[in-house]
Amino acid sequence: MKFAIQSIVSKKFLPIAALALGVAMLTGCASPSTPAGMMPTAFQPVNKHPQTVSVTTSGGQETSSTGKSQISDAAFAQAISDSISTSKTFSQVVQGKGADYLLNVTIFNMDQPSFGLSFTVKMEAGWTLRKADTGAVVWQESIKSEHTATTSDAFAGVERLRLANEGAAKENIAQGLAKLSALNF
Amino acid sequence: MLRKIICTTLTLAALAGLTGCATNRESASITPGTDLKAMKTFYVVKQPADTHNIDQLIKDDLVKRGYTVTTGPELKPPYPSDAVVTYVDKWMWDITLYLLELTVNVRNPNGFPVATGNSFHTSLTREGPPEMVGEVMNNIYKQTN
Repeated sequence: MKFAIQSIVSKKFLPIAALALGVAMLTGCASPSTPAGMMPTAFQPVNKHPQTVSVTTSGGQETSSTGKSQISDAAFAQAISDSISTSKTFSQVVQGKGADYLLNVTIFNMDQPSFGLSFTVKMEAGWTLRKADTGAVVWQESIKSEHTATTSDAFAGVERLRLANEGAAKENIAQGLAKLSALNF
Repeated sequence: MLRKIICTTLTLAALAGLTGCATNRESASITPGTDLKAMKTFYVVKQPADTHNIDQLIKDDLVKRGYTVTTGPELKPPYPSDAVVTYVDKWMWDITLYLLELTVNVRNPNGFPVATGNSFHTSLTREGPPEMVGEVMNNIYKQTN
């Protein structure tokens, strides 16, 4: 009887279980970075500007199911807009036209690893603030940031990469908003 | 048979745990308001770790487009040209060494990035470095159209 059970387990269920494990490990590859994961926590602006701002982003990429986790333009813009609103760096984030200032943030470099236990993502984004009425550049700076996610953060590589992406973006947004809020209009 | 399935599955599971998955992709973007075609002189910053002369390939590509290009080490901004080009090349070994990923950044003389292009090709669809450089630069200049 014991032999029979062992035989069934080893010949039928073990391969199925092993395959199921493999499928479970491989599915969910890959999930995109989320706006919530990219928002800095407990950010305190130097100045709270009474003007309004609109936010545009570029340089982001959509995540394909078989590719690496990426940061989309929409998610990055949402994270920046929500961070500005929450911290009150500007009085209001305006969708579309009608804002006092235009903030464009372009992701220029996303240095992502493909293999390893610790994933360090390095990011460079160009931040440009313009006056909406004249188009004059008020502030422009390239901001570099990075974040390392380890196996203690997530075992699955795709999840770990997403966390590393979000951490790098969070740090970038925190630096960007700190510099923005320090401006005197 | 059983051992094969288990070994294969464990290998796949290990790979899933260790890798971020990979695919081929190419992209480019440009900062709104940037007139790339107005930039006539370029300075390509040679990366100290580059042993494959990617800087020369970028220079060759830009010269073909009719621009004046010099290469050299990183300088303190502002650069004595209309634009500065920096790049990151990532190589991978699979029977032979191949260029896995290339990112090219075009910056203003003060170092602020105004355009970028990236190509990523895994082993089976690998391209030679000149083709990869051409692909990235073409994608960057397509943004100006």
